Order: sequence, then C-alpha cells, then structure tokens
Amino acid sequence: MEKVGRGKKFSHLCSKFVLKAFLALFCAVFFNLIRISVSLYTMLPSLLRWFARTLIIVGCSFAGATAQTCLLSGRLTDADSREPLAGASVYCPVDNTLAITDDKGGFSLLLNARYDSVIVVFNQPGYHSLQRAVRADTQDVYLEVALENTGHAIQEVVVEANNLYREKLSSTQTSLSTLTALEAKALPALLGEVDIIKTLQLKPGIIPGPEGTTGLFVRGGSSDQNLVLLDGATVYNANHLFGFFSTFNADAIDQVSVYKGGFPAHFGGRLSAVLDVGSRTGDLEDFSVSGGLGLISSRLTLEGPLQKGKHSFLVSGRRTYADVITRTINHLNRNVADYNPIPDYYFYDLNAGLHFTLSPKDRLTVSSYLGKDDFHFVDDNFDFDFDWGNTASTARWRHLFNDQWSSDLSVVYSRYQYNIENRLDGFFFRAGSTVQDAGIRAAMLHLPHPRRSIRFGLDATNRRFDVARLNAGSNDGQIRFSSGQRFEGTELAVHATEERQISARWRLSTGLRASAWLYAGDAFFGLEPRLSTSYSLHPVWTLKASYVRMYQYAHLLAGTGLSLPTDLWYPGTSGLRPQISDQFTAGVVHVFQEHYLFTWEAWYKKMQNQIDLIDGADLYRTPDLESQLTIGQGYAFSPMELEFEKKNGRLTGWVGYTLAWVRRGDFPDVNGGRYYAPRYDARHNASVVAMYRQSKRWQFTGTFVYTSGYAAWLPEGRFTFSDIPGVPAQPVVPVYGDRNTFRYPAYWRLDLGVIRKFKTRKGAEHDLTFSLYNATGRRNPYFIYLDPGYETVLIAEQPVKVPTSIQAKQVSLFPALPSVTWNFKF
Amino acid sequence: MRSTTGFVLLLMVTLAACDLSREVEIDLPEYTPQPVVECYLEPGQPFRLLLTRSFAFFDPFGLDTAFLENTLLQGAAVSIRYNGTSTMLTNTLSGAYANGKVYNYASPDTVPDTPGITFELDIVLPDGKQISGTTTMLPKVRWDSIVVQRNPDDTLVYRVLSYMTDDLATSNYYRRVMSINRTDTIPEQDFLVTDALNETGLFVFGTGYQLKFKYRVYNTLVHLPKEYHDFLESIQLALAGSENPFQQPSPIKSNVSGSANPIGIFTCLVYDLDSTTVR
Repeated sequence: MEKVGRGKKFSHLCSKFVLKAFLALFCAVFFNLIRISVSLYTMLPSLLRWFARTLIIVGCSFAGATAQTCLLSGRLTDADSREPLAGASVYCPVDNTLAITDDKGGFSLLLNARYDSVIVVFNQPGYHSLQRAVRADTQDVYLEVALENTGHAIQEVVVEANNLYREKLSSTQTSLSTLTALEAKALPALLGEVDIIKTLQLKPGIIPGPEGTTGLFVRGGSSDQNLVLLDGATVYNANHLFGFFSTFNADAIDQVSVYKGGFPAHFGGRLSAVLDVGSRTGDLEDFSVSGGLGLISSRLTLEGPLQKGKHSFLVSGRRTYADVITRTINHLNRNVADYNPIPDYYFYDLNAGLHFTLSPKDRLTVSSYLGKDDFHFVDDNFDFDFDWGNTASTARWRHLFNDQWSSDLSVVYSRYQYNIENRLDGFFFRAGSTVQDAGIRAAMLHLPHPRRSIRFGLDATNRRFDVARLNAGSNDGQIRFSSGQRFEGTELAVHATEERQISARWRLSTGLRASAWLYAGDAFFGLEPRLSTSYSLHPVWTLKASYVRMYQYAHLLAGTGLSLPTDLWYPGTSGLRPQISDQFTAGVVHVFQEHYLFTWEAWYKKMQNQIDLIDGADLYRTPDLESQLTIGQGYAFSPMELEFEKKNGRLTGWVGYTLAWVRRGDFPDVNGGRYYAPRYDARHNASVVAMYRQSKRWQFTGTFVYTSGYAAWLPEGRFTFSDIPGVPAQPVVPVYGDRNTFRYPAYWRLDLGVIRKFKTRKGAEHDLTFSLYNATGRRNPYFIYLDPGYETVLIAEQPVKVPTSIQAKQVSLFPALPSVTWNFKF
Repeated sequence: MRSTTGFVLLLMVTLAACDLSREVEIDLPEYTPQPVVECYLEPGQPFRLLLTRSFAFFDPFGLDTAFLENTLLQGAAVSIRYNGTSTMLTNTLSGAYANGKVYNYASPDTVPDTPGITFELDIVLPDGKQISGTTTMLPKVRWDSIVVQRNPDDTLVYRVLSYMTDDLATSNYYRRVMSINRTDTIPEQDFLVTDALNETGLFVFGTGYQLKFKYRVYNTLVHLPKEYHDFLESIQLALAGSENPFQQPSPIKSNVSGSANPIGIFTCLVYDLDSTTVR
C-alpha cells in the first residue's frame, strides 16, 4: 500500500510539474492562435464571416437538441498479465465502424446511438474474441476489456475478413494507404531511426527518393506536389539532414494516411498526394515515460492524464547528439596546428499536445510541433551558420450537435524558414526564405440517413512568402547587396461532398471544391470536381473508380528533384498560373481466404502548368525570379498498381508492385520543348514487407524493395576548354544533350530486423531493436560521375597535363549497416 | 552552394574510404562531335582563335602530338570583320603549350582598343558548314584600390581587399580571378558576379587572413559581356553537375551558331590586372 501511495504521489507531482510547464507553453501557443484568429477574422471576406456566424448560430441552436450519439473509448488488456493489447480490432457490426487499438491498448469509436444497445466485437490474434453489449445513449462510454489468452503460443485466430477489410470493400475511397506508427516501429530502419515516411515508400504507387532519403514521388508527381499535414497544419519541408530523416518522431505520431488519388473534397492545394499525419494524444488513464537511445539520436516522451479519463497531455522530444562528440574533438584539438575543426550539426523535434474532453459532446485538442536543423562552422575564414526548421500548431474543436450533425473547427499555423549567415571581419552575408500559413478550417458533417452523409466546409489560409531574401555587404554600409521578394495572399476554398448508398451494391461519392488564390489584386479560381464510386460484385469483390481535379497555388522551385532546405516556395502570380492535375483511377478490391486483401488499381494523371527551372537558373542573384522559370505539361499512367495485404495473424505485411510511366515536356526553355522522363520515372517498383510475431518476446521483420533504374542526365560528349591566360585549361568539360536519357542500374535492398521485448518485475517494459539495413551489402547506385585520369606529357618539349582516360564511377551510400536501439517505457 | 559542394566532397572521400565508390561500365547515348570555338579578342594583342572538336564522352584520348591532332580542327577559313575591315586568320599553331593556351588560327593584325566596337566572326569548315558569332567590346573597369590588412589578433597573417566601382546605370558582369605568388596554377579565387543586386555600386573582393609577409597577390577583374558570363556559368554548372548529385547540370550556352552546330565563345577580353605584395 505504501508503495502504491508513493507511486501515486510521484505521479501526481510529475503531473503537476508537467501541467505547469505545459500551461506556460500552451498559453503562448493559444495566444498566437487567438491573435491569428483575430487577424484572420478581420482579413477574410464577408463570406467567411457569414460562415463563422452561421456556424456559431447553428451550434447554439443545436446545443439544446437531444444528442443520441456516443463515443465509446477504452482500453484492451491481456486478462492474465494486464498488459495492453496493441493492434487489436474493435468492431461494431451494426454501425460498420472499426477501430484498432494503439500501443497502450487504447481505442475510441463513434457509435450511432439509435439503438438501446449495440454489440461490439474485440479481436486479437492469440486471444479468444469477445463480444460486449454496449448501451449507447447520450453519455460517452469508457470500457476496460480484458481478453483471455488461448492458452498456448499465439495461434491464428480466424477473424471474419469483413471486420478488418469491410471498410476497404464498402468504401468509395480509392488509392488510400494507411500506416500506423506501430507498424513503422516494428520494421528495420536506417541507423535504427524509425521513420514513418520512409515506411510509406514501401507502399505501391510511391517511388522513393534517392537512397536513404524521405523523398516521396507519388504517381508521377514531384515531391512538392505532396501536401504534408500534421494535425491539419501544412509542413512545408518535412525533412532533416538533407532529407535523410523526416520530421516525424514516431513516438509522437499515431498514424499517417496517404491519399494517392480519389482525394476527398476537403483536401486540396497539391496535385499528387496528401499525407495526413495524425499526432498521438496523451494517455487518459496513466502517466508514463517512454523513450529510446539510438545510434544518432535519443527520444523521450511524457504523457498522462491531467484529469483522469477526461484531459491529457503528451510531450515528445528527439535530438541528435553528434555535435556533442564533434565539439569535444574540436576542443581537444584546439591547440593543434593546421587542425580543421569539424562542423557542428544537430537536429531536434519537439511535439506537444493537449486533449480536453470539455463535455460529452465537445473535444478540444491542441498540438504543436517545433523542429530545427542547425549547422555551424567556424575557422579562420568562416563564421558560418545554417539553420532551418518547421513550426506547426493546431487547435481543433469537435462538437457533436446530435445524432445527425457534428462540426469540426480548426485553427492552424505553420511556418518553414531557413537562414544562412556568414560573418567576416567587417563584412556579413545573410540569406533566407520563409513561408508561413495562418488559417482556419471549418466543416460540418450531416448524417441524414444511415446510407447517406454530407460533409461541407470552408478553408481559409493567409499565406506569406519571403522569397530568396539576401543581405550582404560591409558593416559600415558602404557596400550593400540585397534581394528578395515578399508576397502575401489568401487561399480560400469551399467544399461539399455527398456520399450515398444508391443500392445494396452501389455507392457514390460526389464532391466539389471551389478554390481561389487571391494575391495583389489578382485572383485565380479553380473548380475541382471529386467523384468516386464503388460497386460490389460479390461480398468479397468490389469495383471502384474515381476522378479528381486538383489545383496547386504554391510552388516549390527546386532544380534537382531532391529535397533541399534551400528550395524556395513561391506563390501563384500572373506569370505562374496554378498547377492543375486530372486523375482517373479504376480498380478492384478483393478479400480472399478471410485474411488477405488484394487491391489492383490503374490510373492516368495529366498535369498542366508544371514548373521547371531554365538551364543554368540562378534563383539568388536575380531580382526577377520568374525569369528563371519555364512552364510546361506532364502526364503519368500505370496499368497496374497491385497490393496484397495481410493485417492479422502472426505473420502480417504486404507485397506491392507498380508498373508506371512518367513524362514532362512542352517547356519552351528546357530540352528544346521535347518530353522527357523526370528523374523519378521508374518503370517497375516492388516491395515486400513481412512482420512475424514469434512470441510475446520475439518479433522478426524484413523488407525488400526493388526499383528499376532511375532516369539520369549524364553528359554525352566532352570538349577541352582552354580559357583565358592566368587560368588553367579544363581538359574535360561535359556536354549535356537531351535530359535524362540514361538509366541507373536497378536498386534493390533487403533489410532485416529483430525485436526482443523485456519486462521488469516492477512492470516497466523495454526492448532491444536490432536492424540490419541493406543486409546483403549490395552497392546500390546513389549517383554516377565521370572521372577523367590525367598524365603529364611533353608536347613541343614542354610538359603538358593531358587527360588519358575517363572512367564512370558509381557511388553507393550505405553498405550493410547494423544498428541497435533501446526503447523503454515505465 | 559552397557548403553543398564541401559536403559532397567530404561525402565522396568518406565513401571512397568505405569502398563505396567503384568503377562501372555504362552506355551513353550516341553523340555527334561538334566544332568548338574559343576566341578572346584582347586589345593590343593579335587576333587569335582556337578551333577544336568535341568527342563522345568515352572516346579514347590521344597522347603526345596525337592529342593535338585529334583535338584541333584544321583547314577552316576564319575571318573577323570590324569597323568595315576584315582580317583573315590563317591556320597556324601559336601560343604557349605549357599553360595550355594554344591557338590554331591567328592574324598578325592586332585587336583595336575601342570600347563599343562590334566584331563579327565567320568560319567556313572544310566540309562547307558555317559558324558565325558577334561580340561588342566593353570598356575596361579598373580596381579602385587594393588594401592589405593585418590581422589584429595575429600579426603574422594578412588579408587583401580589392575594391571596384560599378556603373549601376547598366547591367554589368564581372569575373574576378585571384592568384597568389604565381599565375600559372589554379587560382585561389575565380568566380562570376553581377551588379543586379548591388545597391551602392561599390564592390569588394577579399581573402581571409591567410596571406603572409611578401606574398604576391594577382587580382584580375574581367569585364564580361552577358553572353560570355552565361557561357562561363554554363561550363561551371556542367562541371559541377557531373560531380555533384545536388547540382542540376546545364547544357553549354554558346554565342556562336551556324550549320556546323558549334559550341563555344567569341568575345572581347577586357580586364584590369593588379599585382600587390603583402607588406
């Protein structure tokens, strides 16, 4: 009893301390959000104000209505050990709603409360499935459910296929992949650094960027055509360390959904994909500390209830520590002559979230993200700083009016910024860019009938760009260079979607998004129809099709197709019309042997107003940045995007394959206007992901990825450039012809992983995660360069250095790389 | 870009150490060799032109005299017209082999020192195909001053600051070349600048505190026509693009054209050279 008392006291003290810290942090966040909201309110046109007033009036009028919907939440545990059961399914057959438990066994499910009580089914491999009747009246329900173990090593449990795959079979949604942080954590990772975005690269239809990076090229789109949302706030550069790691700390993330096509009307602003990343909310019941020590970074997460069962907090941080080592080395060598100091580099992420259950009908969540990379170098000639990072905050209020109406209101803020600074004695150089969003999103959901739903809403975002801001000169002001442009505009959208079950077999979703970009007296409008349908041929066979049009009003100016922190975001202007895409998708979904989901999709995408840099573009030394751009078209298609997926049992995973073509062209200043394959045009892309849970303690994982050769622009010819007196000749100058006519060798890689879980007598959990990246040690091509060899010969009795040979050299980035990470939770 | 290049160099060294760089055999697309023109009209110097040919990337190099024979494009008719006169450049080998400055067409006439004058180049190759180009001589821009400063924290090292004044009324392009102690090695600094972002008209180029007593610093300031600037920039990008995966390559931007499908540059070379001894 005494121990329990001390534990409670400690937990209470921690909660109080964390609460105080977070109140201070979130007061600041709230203040900013309120300030943004006020400025938005005064800025937005009368339509928005009308909408906001209407929402408030509607909210007030419905507040008195009798609500008949309830939120079922709770926790699923092992009946013997009381350990939480993660990845279990919680299914309500009457409402056809499904939830999967998180790593703490937590779940939540919105139930339609037309019935006095409903049956909810709990399933977990290795456990007896359990049915519970839940009284779904006006009050939210919280359940503690324990499942009985089958008594021996985990066995296959036949789960009705419809439970897990019903959503896939019945929904009109096409081209959607979902991945949980739990899955990402189980898979082997480069240097042990779990990255949910890199795991997404294993899904069909997504071509990964260069080796080891987080680049995603979705269905022929470039990486800037992906809308990355963290709790609804746009993340403009979701990368650390030149794209080798994403900004998403898996400890703070719940799951990510990637829409490759069939976009719902409430998403817009990018052509090719939506990555909807959702943060975890803190545990409503218990205070916990978790984290991990890895090769390059460490993580720590604190979470727990602020008021048990109602309010919770979560804070999670990650930081690399290579700079601690390099600073020590530099310090030890500070007196060594001619020692070249090692530059400092680190990155960190900080996620924080608050969750409030204000009433049975009102939920408020506030989440915030702050991440930064910092590179610093000092020697006799340089005092150089380069930092970049994202900030994103969201406050989201969900309100349930009654069993037919609910609302969802978010205020979002996001900012991406990079700064470069160099100081010399008497002189300085500063450069940077910023893109900043402040906006609101309001939506109403109406369920007039079990077979019909309507969603409509409005998005308004004030967006500011500080592009290629540069200042340089002497401290006395005699010498001064400057450039940069500032843009500020508003992106507006109203959207509505109706989903209707027309017959027992046929469902149709009809949506329309009307978007606009208002900037400096110019206005660009776009009508974006969204149609998708499903037809059930058989209980386990469904045909699907969709058509979507997307508009993109913010453009990334990047030359190499790689994601660099210095890439510039630039707004639509009279010279840069919105990018437009039209995508058609058709496919089939099939569930077989009750465990396997098969999806086949074919798609065609046409893209207009594509942007490229002219050859030799210089975005920093020109006052007119648009003169460095050229506008063209593009298209991509795939007759075959396949996925076999198994979500339950001891062995889970998927196999994916995509056959696709991508082309860009009609750029007046690039490639003579001829069409060419962009760098990320890979004909074949295949992946195999397997997770095998051998026991409670041991789990084995493996991934295999194959991508046929990327397109590359290599020189076709060479010449000798003599140059002027005083400057040595260049014996080998490459001559580049048509773009991307060369193909790299195919890329393939096998990664293996083992997880060993431990549990202490006091109940603390920890595990060791072993990863072997590139297990076969294959030398995959990162890039190929051409390397001339030279000899000095006598010509007319004078020694002259002449080239004698040229070799093509392939650089690979990673050999077989083992890593181990220790994760803990108590 | 400098930081990116440094990162890439460090990366390549590290990868080589890990045996992650290896020779591979690749097939490049078919390439038809092109004539290459380099002609720098330097006031007071004879008219000289280098006419060579390009090669498919993996074509073998010739050694000794075969190298020049393979490279030089001989037997062309070359003429340059200016101010109503025309000078023929005969097919003669001249120049200094040691620093690589060889010309295979030359005229005894000297280039006039008249800013604003326009020159027109005509070349007819032995197969009848033609090359033409035009350039205009720019005025020389001189260094205002070269300042030597001693490091206040370490009196044994110095830096040199080179000042110049630009005419902001016109768009100007410059190439700054700085060498230490000798001019026949790779320069310490060699870069292109424009005045597009300059607000005061004053430029300064500097070294770090790296120079020692009695070092000799050669500062060259070349005033470039835009087409010469673009040509040099495209060469830099072509070189960088073949070595650096983060750098987009560029085709060569030439100011010569014609049925021979040439690449190259025909330009005036107007520069101010200063040599300063550190003391």
